[in-house]
Amino acid sequence: MFNSELKKGSIEMLVLSLVEARPRHGYDIGKLIEARSGGRLTFALPTLYPTLLRLESRGWLKGRWVEKPGERDRCFYRLTAEGRRILADRREEWRTYVAAVNNVLGET
Amino acid sequence: MRDWQAFVRDRLRLPALAPAREARIVREIASQLEDFYRDAIARGASEGEADAHAAGQITDWARMALDVRRADWPHARSRVDRFVDAIEARPATSRGGWVMVAHMARDVRYAIRQLVRAPAFTAVALLTLALGIGATTAVFSFVDGVLLRPLPYPDPDALVRVHEVLPQIGLFSVAPANFFDWRSQNAVFDRLAAYTTDSETLIGDDGPERIQGMQVSWDLFPTLRTAPAIGTVFTKDDDQPGGNRVVILSHGLWLRRFGGKPGVVGTSVTLSGAPTTIVGVMPADFYFPVRSTEFWRPLALDPANATRGGHYLGVVARMKPGVTVEQAQVQMRSLAERLARQYPADSAGESARVVALQEQVVGAIRPALLMLFAAVGVVVLIVCANVANLLLVRASVREKEMAIRAALGASRQRLLVQVFSESLVLALVGGGLGVLLGYLAIAPIKSLSAGSVPRVADVGLDGRVLAFAAVASMLTGVLFGLGPAWQATRTGVSAVLKQGGRSSATSGSRWVRSGLLVAEVALSIILLTGATLLLRSFAKVTNVDPGFNPDPVLAFQVSLPAVAYKEDPQRLAFYDALLGGLESQAGVESAGLVQTLPMRGDYRLSFGFPSRPPYPPGQEPSAYYRSISSHYFEALSIPIVLGRAFTPQDSASSQPVAIVDTAFARAYFPGQSPVGQQLRIDNGNGKASTIVGVVGDVRYSGLDVTAGPTMYGPYGQDVFSTTWVVVRSKGAPAAESATAREVLHHLDASLPAYAMSPLATIVSDSVGQRRFSMLLLGVFAIVALFLAAVGLYGVVAYSVSLRTREIGLRMAIGARPGDVLGMVVGGGMKLALAGVVLGSSAAVLLARLVQTMLFDVSPSDPASYALTAVALLVVAAVACYVPARRAMRVDPVVALQTE
Repeated sequence: MFNSELKKGSIEMLVLSLVEARPRHGYDIGKLIEARSGGRLTFALPTLYPTLLRLESRGWLKGRWVEKPGERDRCFYRLTAEGRRILADRREEWRTYVAAVNNVLGET
Repeated sequence: MRDWQAFVRDRLRLPALAPAREARIVREIASQLEDFYRDAIARGASEGEADAHAAGQITDWARMALDVRRADWPHARSRVDRFVDAIEARPATSRGGWVMVAHMARDVRYAIRQLVRAPAFTAVALLTLALGIGATTAVFSFVDGVLLRPLPYPDPDALVRVHEVLPQIGLFSVAPANFFDWRSQNAVFDRLAAYTTDSETLIGDDGPERIQGMQVSWDLFPTLRTAPAIGTVFTKDDDQPGGNRVVILSHGLWLRRFGGKPGVVGTSVTLSGAPTTIVGVMPADFYFPVRSTEFWRPLALDPANATRGGHYLGVVARMKPGVTVEQAQVQMRSLAERLARQYPADSAGESARVVALQEQVVGAIRPALLMLFAAVGVVVLIVCANVANLLLVRASVREKEMAIRAALGASRQRLLVQVFSESLVLALVGGGLGVLLGYLAIAPIKSLSAGSVPRVADVGLDGRVLAFAAVASMLTGVLFGLGPAWQATRTGVSAVLKQGGRSSATSGSRWVRSGLLVAEVALSIILLTGATLLLRSFAKVTNVDPGFNPDPVLAFQVSLPAVAYKEDPQRLAFYDALLGGLESQAGVESAGLVQTLPMRGDYRLSFGFPSRPPYPPGQEPSAYYRSISSHYFEALSIPIVLGRAFTPQDSASSQPVAIVDTAFARAYFPGQSPVGQQLRIDNGNGKASTIVGVVGDVRYSGLDVTAGPTMYGPYGQDVFSTTWVVVRSKGAPAAESATAREVLHHLDASLPAYAMSPLATIVSDSVGQRRFSMLLLGVFAIVALFLAAVGLYGVVAYSVSLRTREIGLRMAIGARPGDVLGMVVGGGMKLALAGVVLGSSAAVLLARLVQTMLFDVSPSDPASYALTAVALLVVAAVACYVPARRAMRVDPVVALQTE
């Protein structure tokens, strides 16, 4: 649907933003991206899962196995303090970028 | 529902991850696939559809594994760990020696990490090793290329040179008649060939060029067992008087002047005015007798008419299979002595000597190269002592680590291997850097040695040299690593832990370190003394008065071809015009001729005195002889002591005259003036000459050879077709080279002025071999001194760090900084002094080995020893002073609180 380069550039920011409010597990994150974008943004498991691992390797996310009554064990990812800083930076960067692109394109 | 974990585990290959990590990832992916499955069921899909939907989420498993491994880099495991795990997972019976290899691999990695963590230690150790291995590699490449590598001829060990031995002179060239008799009468040689130097003027498109070559008997190439790459060798008929004018070219000349065209074989070139047919081109790697030889022509001697009194042939021979050099020597000597008895008029007292060709080529340089090789051996020993000392210091710092490992169950053997792998890693990396350093050093050393070391073109960094460097590095590693490894693993567990982690620095290890340091200083003293002796010799040689002033004089050679200049008057007219032309130039002070330049070879003739009883045959004295022009003495500033110089009036038509030097006058006219006396010089005209003057002595055979009696004759009465021209200029001699070429070109455009060089350069080149040995040994000695200083610094600095508390205590009870300084420096200097005494004693014994390389300096020269000892003690004092300053600044309060 979208240019794959565009998608690749934004997936880290999307994942970080989805776990900002509360920890989520991997499947949940994939479904939420699809739902919130009205089905226009989808990331398959082979893209999404390595992204989670990569963000964890960088120390921006922290994954923890959680047992909930009546549910299967799942790995929940939460944002670390550094991840929070990075997300703020990315958001700001994204807004400035979009505004700049819009200015160039002549749309507001 | 299927078992999703099993599904993922079967497909996702993650060998680089630790098993626990791999399990977590498999579990999580399986969990997500199960979510896909359950979601599909919830949306109303059948079990089959849901299963297909979930299983289809990942299609490219290899790609998935790759992406996961990349994303999970902090958990990726090294190949070494995977290797060790794989080996340890095997049943004990099938592990074999692999366990050791696996552990070794892990130890090596551990060692690398430890070294990276201690960058200062590692840098010093590697630099030290690189210096040692680099020097060794560079010098070995010379020893190998010059001394060890066989000469480039098949079966080179069977090749020998045969010399004549003349009474009163020694080794000498061979007379043609003797050569023919040797060839026909010996039983030890397969073949015997003769050669003599030749130079010809080759006229081509880019003007006349003087090329150096050899006239050789037809069987030279069969003797060397080398055939031309193109064309054929000479035939017996070529080698007859009046035989065909033919020539064989060197590969270099063929490429340079004939464009490397195979078609030149069979064509004709003009050599010194005469047409000559090219019959062959030698292979690229062939040379004989030296690399600068560019062509070979037949000698064309007439056996029926050969002289026994004129000695000018070189003789090379191939021994029959099974014959040794000693056997050949015995037979050739008896053969030559029989001929000497048979022809007493020409050959009385003569003998012969056989020398292996390899020995002949490199024998003269061997002592110098072996001395240098021994010197780098000493440098390597110093390097070992230095690195061992560094490792010992490090080992004492790491005692606690070792003790804990031992407590945790590591066997002593395991610990030894671990410490040892660190030495090995150091040795190999240091060796690698050393090879690089050695490689960079070879080119400068080659250019330094050019002209004074034979076979330098064969020197290079090849497989043999690399193999040597690798073995040397390993041996070095073993040598410096063994002691520290033993030391590091010796200490008992409880002893170390009881001290609360404080380094014990047992008195034993302090002794070892001090001993190593004394040895290091002693070895440096040996090298420094050797270098000082050579340096003083070199200074004395170059300060010797050669008897002439080479500055500012330009020298070059001119050769008159026999075709165009058949008769003496033609040659004389040409030389007169040349000298006149040169002296009329504004920048020229004076110009002279001499057939053999100082430093460039001997030219001796026998002589007699008509007024005295004749000498018995074979016992005539001989002296240096020079045929010169009237301004020769002026051009070289040789003083006229008595009488006069030659004048243009001393010609073929006037009374024969001669001049002698003071050495000649002293030897043959003691207490009287030779001027006016009669002298018969055996230069072929048979007439007696009147001595008209006496001049100062000149060192013709080299700066380090005492001037021998010398006779001079005017070139007007003994003209040579090849001669040296010496031009004393008003400015720099090089500035006159264009003028000289112009004057020559103006007289005869077909004649090149060759071998042109300032005379000062020729004199300086004559001591090139001395300079080579001296500079290299000097560099090694300085490296040794530097390493000894580093070692001394390290030991003193370490002892200061151990004694911080003691020093603090001393200062607390009233010691002044000066006392502390004295104590620390004194401790280090005691070691240095012990090393100096030990090293100087050893040097006295070893200096005899370099005696042949010394000039006017005794091997036990007190000044050299004193100078060396003082230099080392000064450097040692500086090396001790730096850490001592730190000791002086110890704050007693801080020092006593640190415990």
